[in-house]
Amino acid sequence: MTTAAAPPPSPPPPSSSAGPAVAPADVPPGSAAALAARGVTVRFGGLMALHDVSIEVEPGAIAGLVGPNGAGKSTLLGVLSGLQRPNAGKVWLRGEDVTQASPRARAARGLARTFQQPELFMGLTVREHLVLAYRARTARHRLWRDMFDPRSLLPASRTENDRVDGLLELLRLTRVAKAPVAALPLGVLRLVEVGRALASDPQVLLLDEPLSGLDIKASENLLLVFRQIVDQADPPLSLVIVEHDVAAVLSLSDTVFVLDFGERIAVGTPEQIRNDAAVRAAYLGDSEPAQRATPTSEIPAEAAASGSEPSPSLADLEGRS
Amino acid sequence: MLQFVIAGLVLGGIYAIASAGLVITYTSSGILNFAFGAMAFFIARFYYYLHTQESWSIAAAAVVSIVLAAPAMGVVLYFLLFRYLRLSAPLIKVVATIGLLVAIPSLATLAFGNQAIQQAPGLAPEPVAVYQFLGVPVTLDQVIVYACVIVTVVAGALVLRYTEVGLKVRAMVDSPAMTGLSGTNPGAISVGVWAVSTFFAGLVGVLAAPIIGLDSGKFTVLIAASLAAVVAAKLRNLPVAVLVGLAMGVATSLFQRYLPPASQWTTEIIDAVPFMVIALFLVYSLIRGGRVGDNEGWGGVLDRAITPQGESRLAGSASGTVETASVGVVGKYAGPLLLMVVVGALPMIVSGYWVGLFAQAFAYAVIFLSWTIVTGEGGMLWLCQITFAGVGALTTAQLASNHGWPVLAAALVGGLVAMVMGALVGFLSIRLGDLYVALVTLTFGLLMENLVFTLPTFVNQGLGLSVNRPGFATTDLTFTYLSLLVFVVIALFIVNFRRSTTGLALNAARWSEAGARTSGISVVQQKVIAGSLAAFIAGIGGALIAMAQSPFQPAEFATFQGVVWLAIFVTIGVRSNVAALIAGVMFVFPDALFQYYLPSWTTLPEILSVLFGLGAISAAKYPEGALAENSRRLRALLQGFRPARPGGEPPGDLGVPVGVAAVSPAPRISEQVS
Ligand SMILES: Nc1ncnc2c1ncn2[C@@H]1O[C@H](COP(=O)(O)OP(=O)(O)OP(=O)(O)O)[C@@H](O)[C@H]1O
Ligand SMILES: [Mg+2]
Repeated sequence: MTTAAAPPPSPPPPSSSAGPAVAPADVPPGSAAALAARGVTVRFGGLMALHDVSIEVEPGAIAGLVGPNGAGKSTLLGVLSGLQRPNAGKVWLRGEDVTQASPRARAARGLARTFQQPELFMGLTVREHLVLAYRARTARHRLWRDMFDPRSLLPASRTENDRVDGLLELLRLTRVAKAPVAALPLGVLRLVEVGRALASDPQVLLLDEPLSGLDIKASENLLLVFRQIVDQADPPLSLVIVEHDVAAVLSLSDTVFVLDFGERIAVGTPEQIRNDAAVRAAYLGDSEPAQRATPTSEIPAEAAASGSEPSPSLADLEGRS
Repeated sequence: MLQFVIAGLVLGGIYAIASAGLVITYTSSGILNFAFGAMAFFIARFYYYLHTQESWSIAAAAVVSIVLAAPAMGVVLYFLLFRYLRLSAPLIKVVATIGLLVAIPSLATLAFGNQAIQQAPGLAPEPVAVYQFLGVPVTLDQVIVYACVIVTVVAGALVLRYTEVGLKVRAMVDSPAMTGLSGTNPGAISVGVWAVSTFFAGLVGVLAAPIIGLDSGKFTVLIAASLAAVVAAKLRNLPVAVLVGLAMGVATSLFQRYLPPASQWTTEIIDAVPFMVIALFLVYSLIRGGRVGDNEGWGGVLDRAITPQGESRLAGSASGTVETASVGVVGKYAGPLLLMVVVGALPMIVSGYWVGLFAQAFAYAVIFLSWTIVTGEGGMLWLCQITFAGVGALTTAQLASNHGWPVLAAALVGGLVAMVMGALVGFLSIRLGDLYVALVTLTFGLLMENLVFTLPTFVNQGLGLSVNRPGFATTDLTFTYLSLLVFVVIALFIVNFRRSTTGLALNAARWSEAGARTSGISVVQQKVIAGSLAAFIAGIGGALIAMAQSPFQPAEFATFQGVVWLAIFVTIGVRSNVAALIAGVMFVFPDALFQYYLPSWTTLPEILSVLFGLGAISAAKYPEGALAENSRRLRALLQGFRPARPGGEPPGDLGVPVGVAAVSPAPRISEQVS
């Protein structure tokens, strides 16, 4: 949808440079960061999907990642999880340079993710997804050794059952636990993805639009779940959450990163982001005449044009706090 | 030298046209047409019928067969079959073309008779005129091939690049869904694509017949060679496919020139040229480390985004799994157990000759189990299980008969040798994607068949090899039960495998690469495990066959025959152990019964293989196979008599009607299938 020809937004106003984690691309971050990326650039042919984007998440922190459609959010998650090779830039996971590491190696170091379009295993039940993810992290040898072991027909270990059933309960999936995922609607599939990711006991969890397709009740519950698991996790769990429901992101996150046309146009606390002119510009569609609180003269025309169809309104930005 | 290059360009030209046809079909329909050679053979045979048997003139026969009949075949096949495949999984598409590959040569025999044809004329009038070109004699037949290559390539490139039709075809390659939305009718274009594709097949058939002879087996080998060019072209790159095709022809010709003509090695190296191309490609891509592409299926980013998740690779398996989960343990195991007991009791009832047939049937059933793992569970299409069986059989025979090993130990080693080969083939091809697995295993089978299975030690002056049965199971009855025991042990292993972490991880690797990898599961590793297990099982099955029907000829393990096995197995069902047992019985008995009671009716084997081919084609509609489909219907019928479903799950928290899914499979998937 975006084109390479689109001009980058004009230089951000002072407020966006006030955010944390602005560092030169080649300097490794302090080992304190759970996940960090510097100077990530991804090109698809002539399309610049990401240009020199950096992001950093502290242990136990929640980072929001917002931006209009096609801003490059999913691409960035792809780079972070190892599914997408960046053209430039580096990624560190818990202090270690994992730029060259495979998705599998990153998973083994405690990274988990969900997908915008659920990537589930159609032959398995909901519960089996969690069981598999749990074993892949905690008992890797079982992935090949178990076939020779008739005990896999017997009940699983206590710890495993407790963990898996606890997660199912938390996500309110218990009643569909034995259902094959092929028969479930999209909203439930998202929860299954979250469950699978959590079952691997990650230290960093990337979520790509976990709330879309969920009804209000389910998404409120899921937000509570995120808050709860982050608060209770030991060792600490960091979240990176991509979401179009900006109000939800602002209410949940400690730090928010804003992407537009592959550029990071702002970073800061939810409060800073809420008042950021560039963000308002990127999100202000022409169809929002009611929102004239911001002087329109401050908004660069080309940046204003970039907010494409289902962008959240300014009301979202000001909604919850 | 020049002479050989020019001669090589003839074979190369035929490869080139064939690979161009394959690439064009693949890029514009997403179907890798394994039946291309069979189609070529059919049209060539038709041309021979018109021109030689009915004495039509060359022009009339050529026009009717190549210009009319061939495209018509494409149109008919589109409406009967390919139309339904547009959105199915790549695997299903391959299986359907494999069904055609099995059915079409037999249809040709039924239609035109099975006389052996020594010499087939080409498009040049007899006697074929010979010209001098740079001091090299060139026949008119060769000139026609060159002309066809040039016309094909130039016309193809022009049409694709500059015409509106070409634009639409290219648009559809990128996104069939969007092309549909934008008002272009993808159906109309697809008909055209198939007509063009079968036209190419017809052309290749008529051009190749004078060179390779009118033999459907030779045609399959010819197309396997063209598939090597298609692999090198990464399935899509037309110029590369054409160039590699030409180069293979020239290489073949140069080998003929510079290697000692009388040596056994020379013929073997020549036969191996296509495989060398594939091997080079595999090694190259291994070193380069890049994946050729995860989504070899079809369509661009956009289509993947708007089609429901898993749908493109799934095509129907969901119905089976939904069902398994909702049927209680008793319902799940009672039927299969009963069937096994009944089949297991049969050898006691019958006598003599028929008992021995059961031994064979169970041995085949063991081989079919290898597909239960690799296709039923792993979702991969391996086309060389028969080769692994052959390796098992030959190793067993060598070790037991020539080296005095105990036969069961020899069989075990046979299985292990097959397993190592399976691991290697799997490791090289799985990384590239499911279609490459089918392609590489097919070529590997042909390579082994032509290179290894023909070695003098194995052929044994045409006497074949014999293996003694183990001392405790020398009679037909005891050996039958030994085979059944092996089957049961492996079947139990598979039951355990499915439920084990390994099975779950294989399932993960099958349905979502991204999901599996980010969950810490290696797709290649899990699939290689499945592939090598399957190779081991096939090797053991092959050893059993060797013991059941000793002496045996290595030629019995011909790759094409293995494709027929696959067609039978797919017809009956790829996912259940019982299906493997039934497939074994089905493979052995109808044929034997007909031969026993109706020895004079010679066309029956042909009719059978047409039926098996059609059965495989029906996989397009019922991917789970006939067994699963019928038992699903039966259950649905039975459930109709029951007012409520006592065993069903209560509806889920989020209002998910889990129980209902048992009767009607998840709608979004079944829509895509039917
Ligand atoms: N594999 C790919 N090949 C080519 N272009 C791609 C690919 N993946 C993404 N793009 C393009 O890169 C840009 C960024 O895509 P991305 O999916 O990261 O956006 P996003 O911010 O996640 O958008 P959305 O909110 O719609 O999910 C888009 O213009 C998209 O079309
Ligand atoms: Mg996205």
